[in-house]
Amino acid sequence: MPLFKRGCGHFFGIVLLAGVLTACATTPNSDPGSPADEVSANDPLELPNRFIFAFNVGLDQLVLQPAAVTYRDLMPDELKVPIRNLITNLFMPLSFLHAMLQGDFDRAEQAASRFFASAPALFLSNPDPGRTPVYEDAGQTFAVWGASAGPYIMLPVLGPSNLRDTAGTIIDFFIDPLGIVAGSEATIGRGISSAVLQRSRNIEQVRDLQRNSVDYYAAVRSLYGQRREAEIKNGDLEPTRAAPTIGLELDAAPAPKQSSDATKQ
Amino acid sequence: MAGRRWTTAIAGPLFALIIAVSPARADQHLVPSSDFVRSLADRAISTLTAEGQSSEMRREQFRGLFREGFAVNGIARFVLGRYWRRASEADRTEYMALFEDVIVNTWADRFSEYSGEKFEVQKAFDAPSAHQAERVAIVRSMFFIDPQTPVRIDWRVASRGDIYKITDVSVEGISMANTQRDEFSSVIRSNRGDISALLEILRKKRDG
Repeated sequence: MPLFKRGCGHFFGIVLLAGVLTACATTPNSDPGSPADEVSANDPLELPNRFIFAFNVGLDQLVLQPAAVTYRDLMPDELKVPIRNLITNLFMPLSFLHAMLQGDFDRAEQAASRFFASAPALFLSNPDPGRTPVYEDAGQTFAVWGASAGPYIMLPVLGPSNLRDTAGTIIDFFIDPLGIVAGSEATIGRGISSAVLQRSRNIEQVRDLQRNSVDYYAAVRSLYGQRREAEIKNGDLEPTRAAPTIGLELDAAPAPKQSSDATKQ
Repeated sequence: MAGRRWTTAIAGPLFALIIAVSPARADQHLVPSSDFVRSLADRAISTLTAEGQSSEMRREQFRGLFREGFAVNGIARFVLGRYWRRASEADRTEYMALFEDVIVNTWADRFSEYSGEKFEVQKAFDAPSAHQAERVAIVRSMFFIDPQTPVRIDWRVASRGDIYKITDVSVEGISMANTQRDEFSSVIRSNRGDISALLEILRKKRDG
């Protein structure tokens, strides 16, 4: 099994690298001066990040969005479902691997059964419509193992990330079972197809966010962080970040006078 | 003897009643919270998507529903975070008005694009409350924009007595209040803590 060996060699090399990276990521980064209720964005690279973000937005307008619109408008609806199923099902081996690494055997079983049940139809079918796909990746596994997100990083082309998820993306490129069996072209192809598919279903939402946000960069950063937290928690209700402490008391309380407030600070 | 029989006769059912009632008390706000979200959504859909409405009419109708169903002041203050305390009285008043206007305009216009997609309230969960006298429920609902992959929307409902108010809406785990707060604080921070830059952007959004 030379392929498997190659994957394993990479795996251990990358795990070492990831250990170093996530160790950096877990160093405390809290600002003692900021109030407890304020969650800092942890974005020390904001200036270069904003620059890369502007580049990514341009690239999206020039390449990804036109591809997504073309796909949405020209691909017959009858073909969209099997295409989406194929792409989704090709993510399941990686999800299975990471669910196992996280010790979540229910989700591992869910990923495996979705994958194998769709095999007779060349992975084009969704075997059980009630069974939602499972998405797990190395970034989520590191989070389950206790690594914090680390600083926010805007990756060129690939989009929003953080130190932990960037390490995860690199590792997944090497340990993805699809890549080991079918070559890295397969994972890259799946990644590009998945990006077009996702984008084709979010055309209006992205336009809406661009139009209505007061700071598009900050909105994307916030959405990314919250979405990753939700993915790590697998949709559980307990939020990792403090839920908004909005109560009726705050709603009904008269605005405190500026003068009396100034004495408190 | 008759007295004793009377006490046993009443104690049994009373005991059963206490058992039956006490666990229910812990989550007696859940069903009304779900009903509250369901009825608000039904009314929003029926009034806001009615044919032949000008966008001005739709906005005013949405404003009424928004004030009735949401803890507007609480949300606005939370979203401004620590900058609320530093703001002047005049800035606070203007901010409150702008915040409501911008939300009303944005969401009333979003409703104009609604075309009958199925919305379904599923169940409610008890959530910890920051205030002793208040109960918080998370009402989970599904919005079938695409029948294959519905969008999960969680409504955070705070209640005290008969008063029910929505304090946050999460879409697929993404809290609208947190997102808005992150955006606002980014704008204020990049202007060295000055709230007037945010007010200027909100003014443009309201008028544009």
